[in-house]
Amino acid sequence: MTQALNLVLGGVFHAAALFLVAAGLQLVFGVQKILNLACGSFYALGAYTGIAAVNAALAAGVPAPLFLPVLVASGLALGVLGPPLERLLRTIYDRDEAFQLLLTFALVLMLEDVIRFVWGAAPYQMAGVYLTYGQVRLGTATVPVYNFIVIAAGLAIAAGMGLLLTRSRFGGIVRAAAENRGMAQALGVDMGRISTRVFTLGLVLGTVGGALVIPAGAAVNEMGIELIVEAFAVVVIGGLGSMRGAFVGALVVGVLKAVAIAVYPEAEMLAVYLIVIAVLLFRPTGLFARATA
Amino acid sequence: MRITRRQFLKVSGAAAAAGATVRLSPIPAFAQSGPVKIGVLAAKAGVTAPVGESGLRGTQWAVERINAGGGILGRKVELVVEEESNPKDTVERFRKLVLQQKVDVVTGVVSTGVGLAIGPAAEEEKRLLLMWDGTTQKGVEETIPKPRYAFRSVDNEAEAVMASILAARRFKGRIKTVAGINNDYSYGRDNWAAFLAIMKKYGMNVTPVVELWPKLGETNFTSHVATLQQAKPDLVFCSFWSGDAPILLKQAHAAGLTASTKLVMTTAGGVHEQLKKAFSPEGMILGYNSLYFDDPKASPLSKEFTRWHQEKFREWPNYESDHGYFTVVAYKAAVEKAAKAAGGTWPTVEQVAGALAGIEVESLSGRRGYRADHIMEATYFQGISTHRNKHDFVTLESVETMSTKQIQKPSGMGLYDWISSWTV
Amino acid sequence: MTGRLAPAAAVTAAAAVPLLGRDYYATLMLPFFGYSIALLGLNLLFGTTGLLSFGHALFLAVGGYTAAYLGSTLGVRSLEAMLAVALVVAAVIAVPVGWLCVRYVKIYFGMLTLAFGMLFYSFLYKFYALTGGDEGMPVARPSLLGQGFGELDKTAYLIGPYYYYSLALCLVAAVVMWRIVRSPLGLSLRAIRENADKAEYVGVRVRRYRFYAFVIAAVFGAAGGVLLVVPTGLAAPTLAYWTHSGNLVFMLLLGGFGHFFGPVVGAFVFIFLQDQVMSVTQYWRFVFGAVLAAVVIFLPHGLMGLLARRADA
Repeated sequence: MTQALNLVLGGVFHAAALFLVAAGLQLVFGVQKILNLACGSFYALGAYTGIAAVNAALAAGVPAPLFLPVLVASGLALGVLGPPLERLLRTIYDRDEAFQLLLTFALVLMLEDVIRFVWGAAPYQMAGVYLTYGQVRLGTATVPVYNFIVIAAGLAIAAGMGLLLTRSRFGGIVRAAAENRGMAQALGVDMGRISTRVFTLGLVLGTVGGALVIPAGAAVNEMGIELIVEAFAVVVIGGLGSMRGAFVGALVVGVLKAVAIAVYPEAEMLAVYLIVIAVLLFRPTGLFARATA
Repeated sequence: MRITRRQFLKVSGAAAAAGATVRLSPIPAFAQSGPVKIGVLAAKAGVTAPVGESGLRGTQWAVERINAGGGILGRKVELVVEEESNPKDTVERFRKLVLQQKVDVVTGVVSTGVGLAIGPAAEEEKRLLLMWDGTTQKGVEETIPKPRYAFRSVDNEAEAVMASILAARRFKGRIKTVAGINNDYSYGRDNWAAFLAIMKKYGMNVTPVVELWPKLGETNFTSHVATLQQAKPDLVFCSFWSGDAPILLKQAHAAGLTASTKLVMTTAGGVHEQLKKAFSPEGMILGYNSLYFDDPKASPLSKEFTRWHQEKFREWPNYESDHGYFTVVAYKAAVEKAAKAAGGTWPTVEQVAGALAGIEVESLSGRRGYRADHIMEATYFQGISTHRNKHDFVTLESVETMSTKQIQKPSGMGLYDWISSWTV
Repeated sequence: MTGRLAPAAAVTAAAAVPLLGRDYYATLMLPFFGYSIALLGLNLLFGTTGLLSFGHALFLAVGGYTAAYLGSTLGVRSLEAMLAVALVVAAVIAVPVGWLCVRYVKIYFGMLTLAFGMLFYSFLYKFYALTGGDEGMPVARPSLLGQGFGELDKTAYLIGPYYYYSLALCLVAAVVMWRIVRSPLGLSLRAIRENADKAEYVGVRVRRYRFYAFVIAAVFGAAGGVLLVVPTGLAAPTLAYWTHSGNLVFMLLLGGFGHFFGPVVGAFVFIFLQDQVMSVTQYWRFVFGAVLAAVVIFLPHGLMGLLARRADA
């Protein structure tokens, strides 16, 4: 019983990171109708910056348990990239969506080399703080408390996003802009400001996601490019533009992949795609598709 | 100004002495032909980038020393570096090196797929190719069964063979179940197959309880670790060689797997500085391929390289540097040998190829060379991991060495046939 | 457009390249021919119909592996046979994939095609008994119109008979595509891109025609793929990776999608620019990303668009 739980927890841990990246994707798509291929690059950037920040902090004498706030702060700090990147994308808002996709592809190429230039090609590790918060026993296995923290953070952010979008004024405007941009503008919404904020929020979701997960592993150059496919799978399953879809989609992908590994490891590579095709055949627009104009 | 007789004699005496000196040491006959160009196909991006960089460092050091010593038969060596990426683009880079840059020899290449494309290309262009790594024998036998110009690296399975022998000796009678976690491609599969075959040969009576196949480039193993724990194997066999090795260990340690299970990591020594003591256990069988940076029996050459590498890059070297060094030094030795045999003229490509087969040189890992069938011979270093050192990563408590003469299947023999033929 | 003169001059120039003695650059023209054919198809899908596929490399891989399988496994050496079978296999695969994908438009279409491309990549990687896995599948040197040219070494073969064969094939593909674009089908596709709803009202079966465009593009992609793998001598899974698809779109945009010769110009500039930049810096991906961004922002109609504007001015 605890083994099954352990297995599912592993899947949920992965799902937390996936959710954060996919949430960023959905948010940006919902409002700006841009599918940001660079979401994986933001994830990678968050991971590398997080490691750099924590290592520097620890070297400067910051006590180990405080690494988490440092980590999250470094992810948030990358938000400064939001406005300039959004400005860049803004130059082609009224063009065909294909151009926007291609511009984000250009970002992928550039960010890949930026990361390689700054941090080199070797795997980049955080100093040993993964187990700072201890471990919890689950039968014969132990699970780092940190894994629970990441899962909890994912849930908290999901809930926070939900509240933000449904209860706050900002959220209302965002949803209105997503429904019908022209009308929102006509009603006096400053689309420029909203776009900047939404894009920055989407970026930060990705960078924080990358930062949060990285203490459990190491940062490698290709991590962003590899993640794109899974993020897309989440969005296809969940439905384009839906935050709930990102949440459920991430859980589906994370847990099903974990089950595949345990039950039929040979299929691991194909598991994600099979899920995507299954969803496409039975529920083509995804589980929570929005009718977007 | 009037020159005194004394001054004149001094000057003319010096001139005469200089002239005599010049005549005494032979003028390098080939220096006027320009530099020897060595093309290098080095990976710069992706999962093979660290290995590509490492190989290039070994190559550069070799070239520096050769040039400091006067070059190859008086000709300086020049490196022309192009990027190794996917097979199509790398073949184009290869053609650029050969047709445009007109290099004398091409080295590099760590990826199997690329090797299978470049090997035939080298044969077709009649250009020497000395590959650093990335060999699986199967595909190569199909494409270039009798290579003339292509020289390949050690078999995929050599380190699995050595690690399996060590595991059999160490754990005989103490393990009943084994599990494998290997990358889902030829290298991972070949290594796992070799391990199982050798366990059988040694009469270990082990049952594989789970076989996991994460793709190369995977960075999250929480589910894999959970699956391994569920299966409760006595031993886990892993052939990871890149960034996934420390990640797996980190996550396995966090879940308590490293404490309860014996580990065999055939090639993780390639990323040895990433195997931090915090999560890498003692008692692992750990393989370093052909270079272990802290070998007490290391040659002065090896120690000098290690020192240079640490000073310049603040990192300890790994095996690819040895491959990079070896290919250059072997080439030089072959050119010299062939030139001598050709009576002092600069040898042709075919003559150098002939000299390379069977050659032996001093490399960073000791003596190594090429077999007659153009496959590398080398020494492999593995051992048991320990925390007792002054680093923050694990090293070996004692170093076992085996030559490829013991751990690499001989020419023309299949892996399973070869293993069956052993006496243990 | 500038009539018949410019294309004729280009073809003459291309035909002259192998005679210039710069063998390496002659070999570089070979992927140019392959990509040109593949991009002619992608241009029909994207430029004419308005569907941006981020998985087009799938069909290049299909072509490449078909050629490899026929040549190495089945011993069929005829390039004509390789092409014919590749076209059929591509069409067969394009039917279900296309049927699924054209139900969606724009972004969703892009995502789905990316997913299918990566699915194929994983399949190639995983089913190694059939495909060779990460090692790829060797591609035997094909015979051209029955002639083996065995007496020529590989380079002489590549910059000699194979070069002219590829050039001719490229011309044939261009003529065929010209006909398609000018046909009622092509007209309908353009109408669909302009305004799908209107086209529907006028009686154009939107989904069906998109599907046709998809299959035609797939077939052209496979033909290009066959030509691509022969110089390499190996078909590898990387052919299907999504960034390869991204490069295809990059080339198309660079040249000018929608313009008939956009693909050809784009492929040419991309290949030769990549060659130059790669030899200068290891950070060539950054340079290319910047170039792509510049093209998207400042030169959306690509180089052909620039030339066309200058011609009109």
